[in-house]
Amino acid sequence: MSLEDSDHIAGFYRHGENAFVVQLSDSEREVLINLVEQILELLGERADKHVDDPLAAMVGITSHDSPPEDEVLMRLLPNAYADQVDASEFRRYTESTLRTKKYAHSMSMRISIKSAIDGIVEVDHDGANDWLGAMNDIRLALGVRLNVEQNSHDELELLAPDDPLRGVYAVYSWLGWLQGSLIEALMDEAI
Amino acid sequence: MVKVADKIDEAIEELLSDNRPWVTIVWDDPVNLMTYVTYVLMELFGYSREKAHELMMQVHTQGKAIVSTGSREEMEHDVARLHEYGLWATLQKGDQGI
Repeated sequence: MSLEDSDHIAGFYRHGENAFVVQLSDSEREVLINLVEQILELLGERADKHVDDPLAAMVGITSHDSPPEDEVLMRLLPNAYADQVDASEFRRYTESTLRTKKYAHSMSMRISIKSAIDGIVEVDHDGANDWLGAMNDIRLALGVRLNVEQNSHDELELLAPDDPLRGVYAVYSWLGWLQGSLIEALMDEAI
Repeated sequence: MVKVADKIDEAIEELLSDNRPWVTIVWDDPVNLMTYVTYVLMELFGYSREKAHELMMQVHTQGKAIVSTGSREEMEHDVARLHEYGLWATLQKGDQGI
């Protein structure tokens, strides 16, 4: 096993009191950047193109009171109430704030990958939380594509080699592992 | 007219006497990692690892769990923060159906 392989297996680890470090290969960084940019694009599409009322824009009220039609966006920006009227009202006043926060998580993850030196990404506690939120949004999006509600883990493991979803599932699993390593590092008491 | 007025009085009385608090519910979800749900509950609510783990297990085994209780405004705030971190959460008045 090469040194690079053992780093790879380590995932995120804690470095001192408030730093979390991971070594990523070029291709891993490329995959992550690609995915995070897809989330940014998706969230951007949902943003209001024309906000006529500057006051409404200032306090974060959007014209969106209906849920997104896109299944992935619906999972990223879910209803807060079972009741449709209450859900619409809540969405109208809060969705743009939620979108902005998710956008910020993804941007933070993107910037830290882009500014990695020798493939080493280092984040503090807040940066780690941004990563967790952003990685989770990617996994939620991939989960919709993989239809994880219906397909069991075992079924997804058994996808045929030529099934296009096989690669998606590989990335989904890898992200789960990476996210898990960061959670473990965060939950470890500082050394 | 008297009947209508009575009905309105009844409805108002019912509303005023409904002291059930609002609750925030987290629903089970096949994507979110168990450790992630535990971590988010610790971070957002300041729960101990034991309490957060217990709530996560309730979500996992029973499909849902009440993670916080309070006024409607407080629960809306909690749901918004849980949505920010991708947990599937809703709020409602009272714990009927939970």
